[in-house]
Amino acid sequence: MFTEKLLHSLDKISQQKILLKGEFLLKEGQVENNIYFVKSGALRVFLLSEFEELTIRFGYEGSFITSLSSFIKGTPSEFYMEAIRKTTLKVIPKASLLQLVNEDTESLKQYIALLENLITQQIEREIDLLTVSPSERLKRVLDRSPNLFQQIPLKYIASYLRMTPETLSRIRNS
Amino acid sequence: MQIESNLLIDDLLNRTENATVAAWKFKELPMDQLQLKHNAETWSMLECIEHLNLYGDYYLVEIEKQILAQNGKSKSTIFKSGLIGNYFANLMLVKNGKLTKMKSPQDKNPIHSKLTITTIDRFLKQQERLKSLLIQARNIDLTKTKTAISLTKYIKLRLGDTFRFFIYHIERHILQAEKIHQN
Repeated sequence: MFTEKLLHSLDKISQQKILLKGEFLLKEGQVENNIYFVKSGALRVFLLSEFEELTIRFGYEGSFITSLSSFIKGTPSEFYMEAIRKTTLKVIPKASLLQLVNEDTESLKQYIALLENLITQQIEREIDLLTVSPSERLKRVLDRSPNLFQQIPLKYIASYLRMTPETLSRIRNS
Repeated sequence: MQIESNLLIDDLLNRTENATVAAWKFKELPMDQLQLKHNAETWSMLECIEHLNLYGDYYLVEIEKQILAQNGKSKSTIFKSGLIGNYFANLMLVKNGKLTKMKSPQDKNPIHSKLTITTIDRFLKQQERLKSLLIQARNIDLTKTKTAISLTKYIKLRLGDTFRFFIYHIERHILQAEKIHQN
């Protein structure tokens, strides 16, 4: 699999980054030139409005994360990426990734499969946000990420689910 | 107090721009300076800004709501300040660059909350929204349009006074933050 190959190649990439709790990996307006593999810890990606921080995605241990449209298009990021606790990352520059992708046809195919998977995830997320019932929204997310509450503080999960922490506590306990 | 509405809006847009420029300068400062407190009971620069954000959370929403409700109705080109509104606005206005100590309501006091650069970014977004509301208000009767205030639901102020109060209040705390930086 491409992800395995990517993970394997990570051993050769020596650049590592350690963030303390609350430190930013990326701020709004900066251009993202890397993707990151989360070795340990957790991150959140959020959009800042005039009135609140809107959590849009989490980076769990063992997964890849980046500010996607900034990374793809080379445009300033709309999002902030912040460490939820002490987090260790492997840094993969865009050029290294693309080199790996274009090594052979099989890699390219698998990279496409990875992107396709990402597209279907985004559609799931779109359905989440259009789901009216808060308890149904929670259920949908827990079906995808059963260990969510073990990894992410409640207030960020509430923001991700577009509900208050109080509502989330209530529906979790009922 | 009585003034041509467009002149008042021009003045308030100018004050808003100055506060925005000041906040952009704050953004360049190192985090330890922005978080620095001269003693436990006084505010850091970020706490000053967060205090403004908490007011913005209320007033920007309320002002927008009232502007939308008024669109298309008759308008006067002269703004006449109300008795209470004028009092509150003047209370907030900085006189001779001097700040008098005031007590902040509990729910608008950000002291000891964990603040970072997003506090300034959020303020800058609020300033953009405020600027847009001021421009929209050029077509609105600043005297007849009333807005509720955050302290009590029993008082409503004229939109022109609410803008004055809100923007003078921003100037006051931007100046406070600048003084913290200079000390």
